[in-house]
Amino acid sequence: MRANIAQAVDRRTLLRLALLAAVEKLPAKAPARPDRPARKVVLATIAGVRRKETFAATGPDNIPRLRGELMPQALFYENCVNEGVTSHFNSISSILTGVWQHVDDWGRDLPRNPTLINYVRNQLHLDPTQTFVVTSNKALTANIGAGGNVILTKQLLIEAVERIALGFSRRPRLDRDLLLEELTDVMQQDYERIGWEVPGPAATMEPRLKQTFLTALANFVKGPDNATSGDELTFMVAAEVLRRVEPALLMINFSDVEVAHFGVYSAHLAGIRNTDAICYRLWNLLQSLPAYAGQTALVIMPEFGRDPDGSTTNGFFNHRTNTEENRVTWLMVLGPSASRPAYVKKTVRHIDVAPSLGAFLGVECSESVGEMLPEFRA
Amino acid sequence: MTTIDKELLKRLPRTFVPSLNEQLDKWDLLFPAEQRTLQNQLDYLAGLAPGDFDGLFRAMKDVEAKMQLPAWEASSRRISISETSLLVRSPFYPQWRSEVEKVFARIDEGIEARKSRKPRRSVVVCLLPAGLPLPAGIPWPRLAQAGRTLSLRAAFSDGAEQFLLALARQTDSAADPAERTWVFETGDALSRTLASGADGLTPLSFESLGPARKAFLQRLNVIKKDLHSADQAYDDLRHLDLASLLGKGLGRDLRLSSFIRDLFLSGNGALLFGNAFVEWGSSEAMRRAQPQLLICSFGIRHKLKPFSSVAVFEDQGRASPAPEQDDAPSSLIDAQILAEYVYLTTSRLPSYVEQTLGVFAIEDSSTVQVLGPLPSTGWPSGPLALAELGTGIVRWMEEGA
Repeated sequence: MRANIAQAVDRRTLLRLALLAAVEKLPAKAPARPDRPARKVVLATIAGVRRKETFAATGPDNIPRLRGELMPQALFYENCVNEGVTSHFNSISSILTGVWQHVDDWGRDLPRNPTLINYVRNQLHLDPTQTFVVTSNKALTANIGAGGNVILTKQLLIEAVERIALGFSRRPRLDRDLLLEELTDVMQQDYERIGWEVPGPAATMEPRLKQTFLTALANFVKGPDNATSGDELTFMVAAEVLRRVEPALLMINFSDVEVAHFGVYSAHLAGIRNTDAICYRLWNLLQSLPAYAGQTALVIMPEFGRDPDGSTTNGFFNHRTNTEENRVTWLMVLGPSASRPAYVKKTVRHIDVAPSLGAFLGVECSESVGEMLPEFRA
Repeated sequence: MTTIDKELLKRLPRTFVPSLNEQLDKWDLLFPAEQRTLQNQLDYLAGLAPGDFDGLFRAMKDVEAKMQLPAWEASSRRISISETSLLVRSPFYPQWRSEVEKVFARIDEGIEARKSRKPRRSVVVCLLPAGLPLPAGIPWPRLAQAGRTLSLRAAFSDGAEQFLLALARQTDSAADPAERTWVFETGDALSRTLASGADGLTPLSFESLGPARKAFLQRLNVIKKDLHSADQAYDDLRHLDLASLLGKGLGRDLRLSSFIRDLFLSGNGALLFGNAFVEWGSSEAMRRAQPQLLICSFGIRHKLKPFSSVAVFEDQGRASPAPEQDDAPSSLIDAQILAEYVYLTTSRLPSYVEQTLGVFAIEDSSTVQVLGPLPSTGWPSGPLALAELGTGIVRWMEEGA
């Protein structure tokens, strides 16, 4: 048992470091609004979903809002190719850098090239609150958004659930009230320990960010939607960041669909439907916030597909094959870039996203090898 | 145990060596079909003229030369998770995979060409439980073109045991028991009822394997988020004493214990969800042991409880006070596609392709889908008794013997 606790504490270190990244980047006081760029970008990536369960003829029941509500107002690229490593960390870092990345899959290394976060921060001279990554995926670490703020929401949720489930908490069972207490505890303890873990002046959490988290956690656990999934928490944290911090660049990552690795196809489909609903809520939220409405590009894209039915890698369970089903998905762009909605048949690549979004924000992704998509020009 | 010529080992691509050594190290734990396959491959390679041998592997060695490979030597015994990670993230990995597939396709082609007879006829039965909210029409519309839909006079459960026993008794009695009949099921009803009625039965029940699964999950739960920790945990699990966890029968069978260990270590939900265990276990059994009859019995899983599903390696019953509830609609969605996957596996394995009948049934339904090369004529036009279907399939198996 002692060994188990030690291991669990070690895992907590990951969360601590991620949250520390957020604290370190926040200034003592937020700068005045005029320093902030008018144009903003929200990039939403979904883990592995095949076209056959989404935008193919067999998939529309799973994505009623993406297809019925958002697609008619979007620039929709029907073939978006991941030519790199079809793992989470490498896929997302390729999207963010505009260069195919081949680094450690577990996020131990930084991407080998600057990310959109770095370009935006450096070229627009933005303060540290202006770039955020809020992510569900357990395979990601703070390295995915180095230079910006990274919040690993699912790690936080798993940490709290595991503490109760494994009996490391004084809270005896997993119900909503106790989970909220545990989540809050995990957060408080991690911030209290920061001064001990990494000596420095940021020994306590910046009050505004702390309130952002607490509000999001309360909304998640106590809200009217009976939310329970990691992606719902990720959305609620991202929503609070958008409302309270108003960053110029937010990358948000959803991963409920990855339950497919355990062979539960029904839960994978439920994850797709949940993501569909969240993306719709995200778009509506952006339209309701003055800082974002009418001047924000929202990009929605899967990281990759999944393996074909009948493959040696067990079909939808995994995402390892060098096949069209695994490599080719889709890309949706909403906002000013989609002032002329269109269904684009040409093939584009994941690495084209960073330079295109960079151009939208007025920065040059100098090391990117992707091409700027002309349709993005608003 | 077979041995390998050290000179041959030196001439093979570097990426082949660790896994080949691993296979040879556990030769006694391999099923006869695996031993035959490996021996045939080694014999084929040893018999190639030097120019043909080099030609077979040239493209692959060219790709390997561009890759940053781990420092494997001729004595390396296994590819670790860390080494796999290095391999998979190489820019040349897709090219390497493609070359592996080409090389094995050529080797298999060469071996098949030397074989004088077709593989024996096999049967795969996929059985879904009663109580599912079945849609109108046939349950596996995507497979309809690959066979025919038959009406039974009664629900499949009426006579299922005798039907399955008739098929099991028709398997090749001269073959190793591992090559006759395997049963994968979420519960344990078939394992209990069929075991006494037929020889050569290998039953594996998700429920009965509970103690072993829990022991694996406990250890996997403490993996830290790094490759070294994962390698360490997997290494520990390779040495975990399974005998006491598997009970007297299974625990004494070293080959089967090893299969179960490998199955649990290979992921794909086999530790956590009964239906995934049935599907992935069946696919692995076909690939490795090549049974002539495979019976896959899917079940109804519990609903995932709020929050507990984010930490799927946990026992949700322990953490949440809410009572367990069956989730029949979701179980139907899971079992439909997983049963299809079992049958699709037969289409890529030389020992099954074009020689395998698929029987897809639901316990409380009188509709059965039969896929594969069963003659389309000679069946009564109206509903038939399950025993008649059994007789027809037994006759088909006999014709191929």
